[in-house]
Amino acid sequence: MSGRLNAGLVVGGALVGLVVLAALVSFVWTPHDPTLVDAARKLREPGGGYLLGADKFGRDTFSQLLVGARTTLYVGVVAVGIAALAGTPLGVIAGMTPHGWLSELIMRVSDLVFAFPALLLAVMLGAVYGAGTLTAMIAIGVATVPAFARVARAATLQVMATDYVLAARAAGRRRPAIAVRHVLPNIGSVLIVQASVSFAIAILAEAALSFLGFGTRPPTPSWGRMLQESQELLFSTPRLALWPGLAVALAVLGFNLLGDGLRDVLDPKLRRIRADG
Amino acid sequence: MRRIGIWIAVGGLLLSAAACGGDSGAGGGTPSARTLSVGFVAEPANLDFTSTEGAAIPQALLVNVYEGLVKLDQRGRVVPLLAEKWEVSGDRRTYTFTLRKNVTFSSGAPFTADDVVFSLDRVRTDWKLKIKSQLDVVDSVTAQGDSVAVVTLKRPSNGFLYAMATRLGAMFSRTGVADLANKPVGTGPYTLGSWRRGDAIRLDASPSYWGEKPALSSITLKYFKDATAMNNALLTGGIDVISSVQAPESLQQFADPGRFQVIEGTTNGEVVLSMNNARPPFDDRRVRQAVRHAIDHKALLETAWAGRGQPIGSMVPPTDPWYEDRTGDYPYDPAKARELLGGRTFSVKMRIPNLPYAVASAQVVKSQLAQVGITADIEPLEFPARWLDQVFTKGDYHLSIINHVEPRDMGIFADKSYYFHYDNPEFGRLLASADEGTERQQTDDLKRAAKLLSDDAAADWLFLFPNLIVARKGVTGLPQNGIAESFDFTALARQQ
Amino acid sequence: MTIYLAKRLAVLVASTAVAAVVVFAFMAVLPGDPAEIALGVNATPEAVAELRRQFGTDRLAAAQFLDWAGGLARGDFGVSYVTSAPVGPQIGERLGVTAVLVLGGMAVALVVAVPLGTFAAVHHRNPLGAVISAASQVGIAVPAFLAGILLVFVFAVRAQALPSGGYVPIAESPAEWLRSLLLPWLSLGLVQGAVLTRYVRSAVLDVMREDYLRTARAKGRGSTGALWRHGLRNAAVPVVTVLGLQLATLLVGAVVVERVFVIPGLGDLLLNGVAGRDLLLVQGVVMVLVAAVLLINFVVDVTYHLLDPRLR
Repeated sequence: MSGRLNAGLVVGGALVGLVVLAALVSFVWTPHDPTLVDAARKLREPGGGYLLGADKFGRDTFSQLLVGARTTLYVGVVAVGIAALAGTPLGVIAGMTPHGWLSELIMRVSDLVFAFPALLLAVMLGAVYGAGTLTAMIAIGVATVPAFARVARAATLQVMATDYVLAARAAGRRRPAIAVRHVLPNIGSVLIVQASVSFAIAILAEAALSFLGFGTRPPTPSWGRMLQESQELLFSTPRLALWPGLAVALAVLGFNLLGDGLRDVLDPKLRRIRADG
Repeated sequence: MRRIGIWIAVGGLLLSAAACGGDSGAGGGTPSARTLSVGFVAEPANLDFTSTEGAAIPQALLVNVYEGLVKLDQRGRVVPLLAEKWEVSGDRRTYTFTLRKNVTFSSGAPFTADDVVFSLDRVRTDWKLKIKSQLDVVDSVTAQGDSVAVVTLKRPSNGFLYAMATRLGAMFSRTGVADLANKPVGTGPYTLGSWRRGDAIRLDASPSYWGEKPALSSITLKYFKDATAMNNALLTGGIDVISSVQAPESLQQFADPGRFQVIEGTTNGEVVLSMNNARPPFDDRRVRQAVRHAIDHKALLETAWAGRGQPIGSMVPPTDPWYEDRTGDYPYDPAKARELLGGRTFSVKMRIPNLPYAVASAQVVKSQLAQVGITADIEPLEFPARWLDQVFTKGDYHLSIINHVEPRDMGIFADKSYYFHYDNPEFGRLLASADEGTERQQTDDLKRAAKLLSDDAAADWLFLFPNLIVARKGVTGLPQNGIAESFDFTALARQQ
Repeated sequence: MTIYLAKRLAVLVASTAVAAVVVFAFMAVLPGDPAEIALGVNATPEAVAELRRQFGTDRLAAAQFLDWAGGLARGDFGVSYVTSAPVGPQIGERLGVTAVLVLGGMAVALVVAVPLGTFAAVHHRNPLGAVISAASQVGIAVPAFLAGILLVFVFAVRAQALPSGGYVPIAESPAEWLRSLLLPWLSLGLVQGAVLTRYVRSAVLDVMREDYLRTARAKGRGSTGALWRHGLRNAAVPVVTVLGLQLATLLVGAVVVERVFVIPGLGDLLLNGVAGRDLLLVQGVVMVLVAAVLLINFVVDVTYHLLDPRLR
C-alpha cells in the first residue's frame, strides 16, 4: 500500500516541481515576449522557435504557459497563505479551549464564512473593487480559512489529549507555551497536507474565475484566461485549448497527489483528518 | 462488472435522449417554416426605452413593435412609415405629416394625429434620457383633424427628420403607456408575446397590423452572454440566426454553404479608442497624436477581430453622405510617435468594458503603445453598469475602448462634458451650422468637422464594427448593413 | 437529541441573520447610486433625486436594512431598481432550475461514485482498484467548465446528438427538458463524482478494517456479503457528510456550468445582476445561496447525529 502511495508522492512532487520550475524559469527567460502582439505570427503552427505555436494575437503559447505558471503559483501561494495564517491560529485556539465560548464563536463564524464560497466572494469583491488577480486571491483565501480552522482544530484536539500535553498542563504550563511547544509542531504535517489540497482547489477556482471574467486581467498570461480565449478557436485550432487545459489539470493533479502522498508519509494516524471544503 | 453496467446505463440514457429529439431536429423545439429564433448579445433591462438607456431595447422593439412616422431604409435614407408623406415649408421650419389611415395599436385603439402630438410632447415631458435634447428644436406639435400632424421647429434643422427615424420618433398610444417597462403597445407588425427574463423574448405577429403581414408567426430573440455558446446554438439548431458575431475567428465553423450563410456588411458602430482630453497626459494634443501614429490599425483588426470590419479614421461611417476616407491622416509610424512624445514615457489606465471586441483590442493597443513608451494598464469593467459609472459618468480613465453604435453620433464630441472632454469651439460651430444650413452646406460642414476631429486626435478610431450575421441556409430578409437602431424583423422569412 | 436539534436550529437562525447583515453591508459599499444607474448616463439630476426617493435609497442604511430584512422574513425580496420587476418570483423561478441542475448533477455523481468507490476499496490491492483511484484523481483535476466545453464539442457540435445549451421547461416538453439537462448534469456530476469516489473508497476501506467484518470473514462468510449487510450503512456516515458539503460546492459549480450551457438559473441571474448593478437582485441571490448552504450544513449535521450511533 505504501509503495503505491509513495509513487503518488513522487509523481505529485514531480508535477509540482515542474510548475515551480516553469514559474522560476519565466522570471529569467522565455523564448519570446509572452504579451507581444504580432500579426505576422498569427496562429503560427508549432515549430521553428515556437515550440507550441502562437495564438490569434501572434503570442508564443510556450512563453505564455511559462509565465502562466507564475500566475498560478502566485494565486495559490497568496490564497493558501491567507487561509493558513488566519485559519491555523483560530483552529488552534478553538481546539485548545474546546468548551469555551471563544471556541464556539470561532467555529460558528467559520461555518458562516464557509457559507460564502470562493466564487461567490470573488464575484462580490469583483463587483465592489473590480475584478483582478488580487481580488480573486483574497476571495479564494478567505473562503479557504474555514478549511484550515477545522483541520487545525481537529488536530489540536488530538494533540491536547496526548500524555505529554496532559503532563505539561499538570505541570502548570500556560496555554501559549503549550501551543508553541507542543501543538504547532505536531499539527504541522496536517497543515502541510491541507495546504497542498487547498492549493489544488485554488488553482481550479482561479481558472473558473478567469473563465467568467473575474480573474487575472489581460494581457497577463494565466492558464484560465488562455482557456477562455481559446474557446472561439476550439473548432479550428484545438491546440490553443489543449495546452493550458493540460497545464491546469496536471498542476491540480500534482498538488492533490502530493497532498495524499504527504499525508501517508508524514503521519498515517492523521490520515482521516482532512477538511471538506 | 457493475462498473461496465453503469456506463451502459449512462450511454443508453444519452442515446435514448438523443433519439427522442431526433425527428425534431437537433434541439431547440420544433422549427417550423413560420417561426424563427435569433441570437442576440445584450438583453434589455426592461422594455421602456423612454426612461432606460441601452441599445438592446430599441434593437428589439423599434420598427418591430413600435413604429415612427418615418424609418431608415437599408441605405440610411429616411423613408415613410406611419406617415404616407410629408411636406417641408419654404423656411424649412414646418413639417406637415400626412398619416396613414386604418392604423391601429395592438391594444385596438386607432392611431391618429392626436397620438403624434401625445408622443412628441411626451419626449419633452416624460422621457428621462439626455438624447431627448435632439428634439429640443421642436417648437410645437399640432393635430389637424385625425390624419394630419404639423411639427413646427424653432429653427431649420437637418437632424430633425433623422431623429424622427430613431426611437425618439416612436409612436405611443395615449392609452398604452401605463407599464412601458413590461407591456409595450405599438402599431408595429409584431407584439410582445412573452419574456423569460435572462433567456428569451418572443414576438408574435400582430393580427391587426395595417401593412403587409410578416411571413413569420413568431420570432424568438434569444440572449447569450457567451459568444461560443451562441455559435454552438446555431451549429446545433438551437437558433437560426446569429445577429452579431462576437467571436469572428470562429466563422470557419460556418463555412459550409449547404448549411449556413454569412452576411457581412457595415454598421454605424465606430470602435473608438477614447482618450480623456481633460486629463494628463492626453490633454496634450501631441500625446494623442502619438497614440494615433503608434497603432497599427491593420494589424489590430487582423488579430483582434479576425480582419472583419474596416479601418476608419474619424467618427463618420461610410454609409453617411459626408463620409471621407481619413485613415491616411495618421499612418502607422512608431518613430513619428516617439518623436511626438519627445522621449517622455507614461503610465496610464485603460479601463474597458468586459466585451469581447474591447478585451481583444485592448491587448493589441497595449502591446503597440508599449513600443513607443506608453504603459497601459488594462482593467475590464462589467458592462454596462460599472463601465458606465466609472468611465462614462465619472470620467475616471485615461484610455477606454467602446463601440459607439448610435447613428450619426459625431455630435457627442461637441459636448465637452461628454466623457471624451474634447473641447474645440470650432467643432461645435461646424455642427450647428451643418444642422441649420442647406443639404450641401451640411455635407461640407460635417466633412470639415470630421477632419477637425481627426487632426486634433480627439480620439483614435480603431475600426468600423462589421455587421456580421450568420444564419441557416434558407433564412431571408436579413439586413445587409446594421445602420439603424433596430434589428428590422419585418422582412424576415424562412424558405423550406 | 431534541436539545441538540433545538440548539442547532438556533445556530441556523442566528447564522442566517448574521449572513443577512454581512450581505447587506457588502452591497451597501458597492460604488454607484442605483437611481443614477437605473436612469442611465443621460438622466437629469431632478429625475435621479425623485427616483432615489421612490427607491428609498435616500434613507439611512440601517432603515434600508431593516426594510429589506423584514421583507426577507416574509419572503419578499423587494422590487428591482433596474428591471422594475419583483425580485422574489425571479429568484424562485431560477432556484427551481438550479435545484434541478444541482440535484441531477448530484445523482450523476452518486451513480458514478458509489459503485466505483466501493469497487476500488474492495479491490484496493489489485491493479483495477488502483486504476479507478488514479482515474478519480485525474477527474478531480479537470475544471468543470472545461468538461462542459468538451462535452458540448463532442456530443452537440460534432455528434449533433444533444442541444449545446439552453433550457426547456419540463411543462413545455419533458423530452426536450431531459435533453437540455443531460450535458450540464454530466459536466457537473462527473467531476464531483470523481471527488466523491475517493471519499466512498476511503470510507469503505475504513469500514472493512472494522472488527465485525473481520469476524464475518473469519466465520467463513464472504466479505462482500458482510460488506453489504453491515459495512455500507456504516460507510454511509462520512459519505453523507461529504455529500452535503458537495451539494454546496455543486451549487456554486452550477454558476459556471450555467454560463457554459446558457441555462437561466440562479448563477446566471447573479452574474446578470452584477453586470447590471441590480443591487437588490444580487443581494437576494447571494442571500438565497448562502442560506441554502447554511441549511444544507444544518441538515448534514442533524443527519450525522441520527446516523452515527456513537453520537446518539
